[in-house]
Amino acid sequence: MSATPGSIRWLLGHELRLAWYGAAASGAGKEGKGGKPGRRRPGMLGIALGVAGYAALHLVAFALLRKLDEGAVPDTLLAMPLAILLAVCATFMLSSALKACVVALFERGDLDLLLSSPLPSRSIFAVRLLGIATTTALPYWFLAGPFANMGAAFGHPGWLGLYVAVGACAMLMACAGMLLTLALVRLLGARRTRVVAQVVGAIAGALIFLLSQAFNLTRHDGDVMPMLQALLSGSRWFGPDSVLWLPGRVILGAPGPLLGALLLAALAFALTVGRTHRFFVHGLQQAAGSARVRMRPAGAPRFRFRASLFDTVVIKEWRLIARDPHLIAQVLLQLVYLVPLFVLILRGDAAGPALAAGLTLLCSSLTGSLGWIVLSAEDAPDLLLSAPVPRRTLQLAKLAAAAMPPLLLVALPLLWLTVRAPVTGLLVAFTVTAAVLSAGLIVLWVGRPGLRSDFKARGKENFLCNMLELASSLCWGGLGWLLVALATQGDAWLWQASAGTLAAGLGILLLARLLRRRPM
Amino acid sequence: MTGDIPALRLTGLSKSFGRPAVNGLDLVVRRGELYALLGPNGAGKTTTLRMVTGLLAPDAGHVEVLGVDLARDPAGAKRGMAYLPDDPLLYGKLKPTEYLEFVAGLWGIRAHDAEPRARHLLDWLDLTKHAHELTEGFSRGMKQKLALAGALIHEPELLILDEPLTGLDAAAARQVKDLLLSHVERGGTVILTTHILEVAERLAQRIGIIRQGRLIAEGTLAELRERTRGGSLEDVFLHLTEGSAG
Repeated sequence: MSATPGSIRWLLGHELRLAWYGAAASGAGKEGKGGKPGRRRPGMLGIALGVAGYAALHLVAFALLRKLDEGAVPDTLLAMPLAILLAVCATFMLSSALKACVVALFERGDLDLLLSSPLPSRSIFAVRLLGIATTTALPYWFLAGPFANMGAAFGHPGWLGLYVAVGACAMLMACAGMLLTLALVRLLGARRTRVVAQVVGAIAGALIFLLSQAFNLTRHDGDVMPMLQALLSGSRWFGPDSVLWLPGRVILGAPGPLLGALLLAALAFALTVGRTHRFFVHGLQQAAGSARVRMRPAGAPRFRFRASLFDTVVIKEWRLIARDPHLIAQVLLQLVYLVPLFVLILRGDAAGPALAAGLTLLCSSLTGSLGWIVLSAEDAPDLLLSAPVPRRTLQLAKLAAAAMPPLLLVALPLLWLTVRAPVTGLLVAFTVTAAVLSAGLIVLWVGRPGLRSDFKARGKENFLCNMLELASSLCWGGLGWLLVALATQGDAWLWQASAGTLAAGLGILLLARLLRRRPM
Repeated sequence: MTGDIPALRLTGLSKSFGRPAVNGLDLVVRRGELYALLGPNGAGKTTTLRMVTGLLAPDAGHVEVLGVDLARDPAGAKRGMAYLPDDPLLYGKLKPTEYLEFVAGLWGIRAHDAEPRARHLLDWLDLTKHAHELTEGFSRGMKQKLALAGALIHEPELLILDEPLTGLDAAAARQVKDLLLSHVERGGTVILTTHILEVAERLAQRIGIIRQGRLIAEGTLAELRERTRGGSLEDVFLHLTEGSAG
């Protein structure tokens, strides 16, 4: 039965249809420079893969839950890890909701049309919020749903409460995301809100890595588990009957908490729609003017003309990167992988070879990213081509702009390492420098022009360059590991392995040179 | 004898993208004139300009800019000209002052020469009050004017513009037209393409019409009218390009 045009159900259908197309576009990549359009909706292959993945998840759930069922863990204990898991998921849901709110406010082109129609703005806002909540919940329903289904099959029908728990949590996070976005619009203005939300959304993903490393980075001297057990059993707040574990009981289908979660989500939705739909419209009006910047009081323009072309190009590249917080956040996410390395260095129990490989891989990866930005994603290539300057000087300056930040970043740890272990420090300095140069040259030779906004999709756009960069990083990282191991252990096989890895690294560079794109 | 050397000489210029875009084009633009290159969509105007400015390598033929062979001495040929495409060559995350610093650096202009020129251009184009803003927030007209300032900072003798008035409001269009006329009055040469025939009619000293990559007519407006016995430039243009792709 089709919904009445203009009704909330009809609008929700429109919203979900756009989300469905959006999923296809993100899978197929955006329209590129060549004008090749992204796919309009997921193809049969995508749907088939989704169905196969969903079936496979049921098998995984079956295997895991069968063991759990044999152990017969009481629901009161099971609710604890489930509540913690839901809390972790809630942070990711908030990140997704925040990004979805930014899209709804700043990037979707259909709101002007909707708001100029006779539909009440309250309905439009309500449906948009419902759409955000639904698209936020969908991945979690997809991934966790099979566990609820298999739980029900094993005789725990209450576990279907997981669907309600995820839905309620997604609704609460969608409301929080919308309120936060609108508050940021009021406090910072539309332009800055967009940047802040993009940065927060990008950084949230890195939390998974840090959480996964948290256990490795803590000293394991046998005190942690007993301390945790004492905390959970002794405290009123963390005991099995604590209200903190209520979300876990919702997942397990306890009727009271289930009803409570539903009411809480409905209340949050009603209050958000009722109280803020006018400000939502106001936020949209601000977004419409977000391209305009506030004028500063006019003063005499100040110039700093530089004598050297090299300096001029390097400064220009750094300025362009420094003024793009979203791009910086995406590039610096790679630094998150440095955190465990730095912790190991500072604790003084780092294994030298691992440290050499880690620093080399990181610098190579950072140079590849920055190299893509300055070399491939040049905003005005025609300006450079029409200028009376040698192409080689421009390329050299751009390579330097990409290579200097990673080298500066590791300069201090390398210096510290060289003071403590001179041979190791010098060997790491060699592999880091080689990796940085190789990464930059590979981008220079086989990189394809792209748009800065497509930074995340650069790997898909140029598979060859991506693979060469990856192989080069692995070679130089491996060489770092082998050379430091050779210096400290001196095993004979390390000589041969080092020579082979060095040859492979140089071979990849040679291959990139042979495959280089012909300049115009 | 620079007076005898044309600002631009194209000899047998050809470029093909599967089918010929520019087909043996011969063209001479004299120094100190404003030359309008007209033609229907897909006639090869932009391809010609991109070859002249060194952005595209020709399949055949020669380009000589101010007496310098572009193929033999690209830097020497580019030094005396500036190119302004219809989509301005700007960086959204740079301020106008920084953009002009960068362009001056590309053309190797010394600071003591570049600074007064940059101030004058920003003033002249009403951009001084926006000198501290990022260009990403600029309107189309402001972007076009800033790109013009960038094109003029090295005081090129030959100014090449592709559809310079597209999307500009009346005031900005007037400013750009005044600037072009002033450049010619000071001895410079301007080559422009435009779809706005009134602009060519009012500004250009000579007009060239190309179709399917070939020059099919050239001369002053009066000469073109006489040749086709037409009325306005629009009549002449439609008469000459009749039957071409629209």
